[in-house]
Amino acid sequence: MRMEKGKSTIIQQLIIAAMMIILMMGFGVLMLLQQGGVVDFGPAAFYQFLTIHGTGMIGGAVLAATAIMWYFLNKYVKLSLSVLKLNIVLFVLGVVMIIVGVFAFEFSGSWTFLYPLPAISSGAWGTAGALTYLIGLQLVGLGLLIVLLDAGRAIIQKYGSLGKGLGWDVITGKKREQDAPPAAVVASTMVVIVDTAALLSGTIVIFMNIIHVINPAFTFDPLLAKNLTFAFGHILANSTIYMAVIAVYEILSRSTGRPWKSNKAFLIAWTMSTLFTMIVYPHHLLQDTVMPTWALIVGQVLSFANGLPVLVITAYGALMIVYKSGIKWRMGSSLIFLSMFGWTAGVIPAILDSAIMVNHVMHNTKWVPGHFHMYMGLGVIAMLFGFMYYLVQNDQSIRPNQLDRFAFCLYTLSILGVSFSFLTSGAISTPRKFATHFEQWQAPAIFGGVSGIFLMIAIGIFIIYFIRYMVNRNKDFSVEKEIA
Amino acid sequence: MKGLMYGIILYIVLLLPSVISLMEKFIVTHMLLQMPLLLISGVLIGDFVTKKCPSFFEKWNGSGIPGMTLVYIVTMYWMLPRAMDEALLIHFVNVFKYVSFPFLVGIPLRDSWPRLSGLAKGFVIFNYIPMFGVMAWLYIDAPIQLCNNYLESEQKILGWGFFTLMFCMLFYILQNVFIDHSAE
Repeated sequence: MRMEKGKSTIIQQLIIAAMMIILMMGFGVLMLLQQGGVVDFGPAAFYQFLTIHGTGMIGGAVLAATAIMWYFLNKYVKLSLSVLKLNIVLFVLGVVMIIVGVFAFEFSGSWTFLYPLPAISSGAWGTAGALTYLIGLQLVGLGLLIVLLDAGRAIIQKYGSLGKGLGWDVITGKKREQDAPPAAVVASTMVVIVDTAALLSGTIVIFMNIIHVINPAFTFDPLLAKNLTFAFGHILANSTIYMAVIAVYEILSRSTGRPWKSNKAFLIAWTMSTLFTMIVYPHHLLQDTVMPTWALIVGQVLSFANGLPVLVITAYGALMIVYKSGIKWRMGSSLIFLSMFGWTAGVIPAILDSAIMVNHVMHNTKWVPGHFHMYMGLGVIAMLFGFMYYLVQNDQSIRPNQLDRFAFCLYTLSILGVSFSFLTSGAISTPRKFATHFEQWQAPAIFGGVSGIFLMIAIGIFIIYFIRYMVNRNKDFSVEKEIA
Repeated sequence: MKGLMYGIILYIVLLLPSVISLMEKFIVTHMLLQMPLLLISGVLIGDFVTKKCPSFFEKWNGSGIPGMTLVYIVTMYWMLPRAMDEALLIHFVNVFKYVSFPFLVGIPLRDSWPRLSGLAKGFVIFNYIPMFGVMAWLYIDAPIQLCNNYLESEQKILGWGFFTLMFCMLFYILQNVFIDHSAE
């Protein structure tokens, strides 16, 4: 059995990402248990865990989502496999540096590395820790940038321009709807645009931080630094769902035997999201009173609007494509369908928080991690593992068993448990990023920690299935070699 | 041959003491006029040199990546504020400036650029955009004098120069990716 081009690299990438995700969940559980008063590692370790958890989760999600995008986009345009491999190498190097920075040099400035924090640690970490972390982050970004440039190049080569990749010629009526680019191409074009902008912002602010860490006499405008940091972080984290949603379009359409058509409404929605995703980040700065008022208003209004076009079109499309299709629910398609619920439900607390009046009360509470744990945990992560099961399901005799189905239920309930524990904490005004909690704040944290343990078990079962597949595949290859 | 001639004339003009003094009087002309012009003279000369010694360049710069790496290293060095001071104060650093830009940046750039793939070209451009962004921010926002030989107010002008450069590159990229390449 010969594998299609690049599949082996995709699998390696998914394994690295899955291992990272489960490891980072472990740090998340430890933090919740510390907040719940069950264990005590001390505040220094808590902030190291916080830093590695945030960075690693986003990094792992980006890596896996890149695999999804590359795998499906490669079916429509010609991508470079060497670039994908180079991305993995740079990613691993970057992650190793980040781990060294956090655990060997005790950098704990959170994934936001908000200027001037990396240079002002009050002795918690030194120059080496901050530099190792920031350079590691830069390497991860560099790998992603190369993948995006390659994807952009291939889309332009096939369709003529990024505008055509977004289907602008169909929107303007120059081309028929039947000739519109496939959904995977449209989504990839959007990701190429927004993530490249994010990485440019990120590179600039990371280098400014590096200069400041090396010589603190060089000081910069902290408000501009915060804007660039969130333009980088928000867009990158947000775009993981736009990369991963390609799996929804491709897998559901294959599972139901119905094509996912790129009609005008779909194309307009993606163009709107391209624009909105890049300019909604000021909702992270609603508490910065020195920000221009117009920017905050734009942040609020477009945050309301941002999630809706693509989400509504995709969620509605998913319901329609499945309705009376006679779909045979497998693990892959089930997880993908579940992810639509996670995405839809996860944006509700997010949209609430993006209202300035609500934000002033809720933004520094655990309401915020509540929203993104639901959005990422039940949305993006479900898409990633759905893709993983899909990738494996057609290849050989290995089939998901009762244990996998049990893991599916356990995963759904436990990630809901984690998310609602955060949302409940937020509702009772528990501050986020606090290493220790008052007694009256501890119960939801303990509940979240225990749910997190069950979540790790469920994810562990998903990973074991993938490892079983890898073992079987290697056996098949050795038999083939012997026969040859 | 025309390129070689123009390149040499430009190089000689840039070596005239009055031109040197004029160019080095302000940091913005020193960094964003003299240095790019030296680079351009190298590019013009490079056209002739690469055609004269094709086997040398083919052997050492077949993919264009070694040449581009050299371009990176040299240009990054000349972005350091300290290098500007040293070019004015230390004689051999000044000589290095007049040698490095035409011969270690201009000629390798002329030879490497056509050899690079579309992806590599994009990578180069997307590395210089944030680099210029960092330089813009550094020179505009730094509360201290970065070069002993130039005033703080002058370095702000240089910062805006870098910002303009970055903006132009971004604009170029945007128009390039959104215009239709189907006919190519």
